[in-house]
Amino acid sequence: MNGARIMVVDDEKIVGKMIKASFEQDGYTVETFSDANPALARLEEEKFAVVITDLKMKDIDGMQVLETIKAESPETKVIMITAFASMDAAIEALRKKVDDFFPKPIKIKDLKLCVKDLLSE
Amino acid sequence: MKIVHKIMWANIINIIFIALVYLFAVQFLELILAKLQFVEIADDLNASFLEMRLSEKNYFLYGDETVLKEIKGKLDESINSITSVQDSIVRAVGDSKYKELRRSVEEYKAAIQQVAANIASATEDTSMQETVRDSGRKLREFSAKIVSLERKKVNDIISHSKKVLFYFFCVAILIAMAATYLFFSKFLRSLKGIEKTATCISQGDFCKVEGTVTGDELGSVMAAINSMSEELDSRYEQIVQSRKLASLGILTAGVAHELGNPLNNIALVAQTYLELADHLSKEDTIDYMRTIEEETHRIEKIVQDLLHFSKPKQPNSKATEVNSVVEKSFKLVHNMLHVSGIDARLNLQEGLPHVFIDEDRIQEVIVNLIINAIEVMSPGGVISLKTYLEEKGDYVVIEVEDTGEGITAEHLPHIFDPFFTTKGVRGTGLGLSVSYGIIKNHKGNMKVESKEGVGTTFFIELPVHRLIA
Ligand SMILES: Nc1ncnc2c1ncn2[C@@H]1O[C@H](COP(=O)(O)OP(=O)(O)OP(=O)(O)O)[C@@H](O)[C@H]1O
Ligand SMILES: [Mg+2]
Repeated sequence: MNGARIMVVDDEKIVGKMIKASFEQDGYTVETFSDANPALARLEEEKFAVVITDLKMKDIDGMQVLETIKAESPETKVIMITAFASMDAAIEALRKKVDDFFPKPIKIKDLKLCVKDLLSE
Repeated sequence: MKIVHKIMWANIINIIFIALVYLFAVQFLELILAKLQFVEIADDLNASFLEMRLSEKNYFLYGDETVLKEIKGKLDESINSITSVQDSIVRAVGDSKYKELRRSVEEYKAAIQQVAANIASATEDTSMQETVRDSGRKLREFSAKIVSLERKKVNDIISHSKKVLFYFFCVAILIAMAATYLFFSKFLRSLKGIEKTATCISQGDFCKVEGTVTGDELGSVMAAINSMSEELDSRYEQIVQSRKLASLGILTAGVAHELGNPLNNIALVAQTYLELADHLSKEDTIDYMRTIEEETHRIEKIVQDLLHFSKPKQPNSKATEVNSVVEKSFKLVHNMLHVSGIDARLNLQEGLPHVFIDEDRIQEVIVNLIINAIEVMSPGGVISLKTYLEEKGDYVVIEVEDTGEGITAEHLPHIFDPFFTTKGVRGTGLGLSVSYGIIKNHKGNMKVESKEGVGTTFFIELPVHRLIA
């Protein structure tokens, strides 16, 4: 399980930076992207065990990242994070498609547990 | 004076006038009647005088004495009838004419009596015959003259009274017009004022009826309208204020999302720091702390923008750069746009001249326009904010363009009216009316162009601030 590849996509760079710092401490390999497009390009080259993506970004929806991953590598787990902690119907629907769902502010401990659980499935 | 009293007075004057005309007409008619009566009597007399004269001729031709008696009888009859209608004759032709008539009859009678007394010589005595003939002729002529004179007088009176009645008619019309003007011109002026005020109020200008409030019923209506206008004005202020709080709510919801990111960043940095504290280099620690500081600034900025919008403000105008105001407004709604899936394009011209504005209020206008635009667009819509200098260089223009449903030609003339809304209970219909008021206060203009199904563009024109050299 250690050494698993994790991708973080969020246009708030600090999110990627902190998750990377914390997760690499546990032996994960973490790549961060602040734009969806390069992230999608990278996904085509490499398989990731878990993708943590923000729901809304400037260029492309996190939704689109989700669709692409589900289409191209269904075994990749997706965790959606969002600043919109609302109970929108759209988000409800999303809950069913993604493997987990984290509203901001994120608790890194919980996120780690979640990743661990998903990887051990 | 109360309107009822005015109408009453007008009626009284009318009645007095009609009574005057009536009295006048009655008098004329009575005079005419008297004259006609006299003419009738005089005609009768005339006829019997004619008969007498015929008899007189016969007597002188044939010397028949009984004829003389006949004449005498008829003369007595005439004298009797003249005496009996003396009053009406005097009334019609006056005392002197009556006496003259009487005297002529007496003279004729005397002449006839003289003939009767000298029957023997009468037929031969030519001088006696002359006297009879003369006095007879005189009587006939005189009475005929009176009749024709009186006939003429009757005609004169009739044509005279025709004229007088015509003058009365003219005067009546003049009086009616003057009365209408005096009584009702003020009334109509007041009505006009009330109409004007009602129109103003419907357009959101809570003005009062011009002119003094009179003591009549219309005065009460004016006073009622004025107090209604005052009341509306204060209610309007309240509604405007609460609407602003409501739109502040919308903005806050949007901005709260915006707070989510910096808060999350701070939380992540703190958690990571606590986890990795032992392994972190000094540089890393400093980097973390700086990040936290920067993120708190971000929060502070967001909160300040909101406070600015919500604060009940003193008017505070100064020379301002329009683009910064547009950008600030945009920031407030940025998240709403994001959530609604609407694309925003900013095209702000550099180096525009300053405008002298109350920044917060102009920001309110721009936010109103953007919220309206968001409300009519579905995801994928585009909103463009532009600034540029108007051709002549007198105004700086802020343009807010959307790709929404547009406004129908039927609604277009009303969108700036207070309380006009097509959003039912979801809208107060005050956004544009308040915005219009703000721009007018800045001596600017607010215009709209819209094409159904294509989109709507609002133009805010603000006068360029010129420093007096
Ligand atoms: N960009 C736009 N596109 C189409 N219609 C518009 C636009 N802006 C305003 N309108 C029309 O003008 C009406 C009046 O707008 P206004 O902002 O004064 O009130 P409102 O938006 O209905 O209510 P409130 O602003 O209080 O929420 C709206 O109801 C809408 O019909
Ligand atoms: Mg509105």
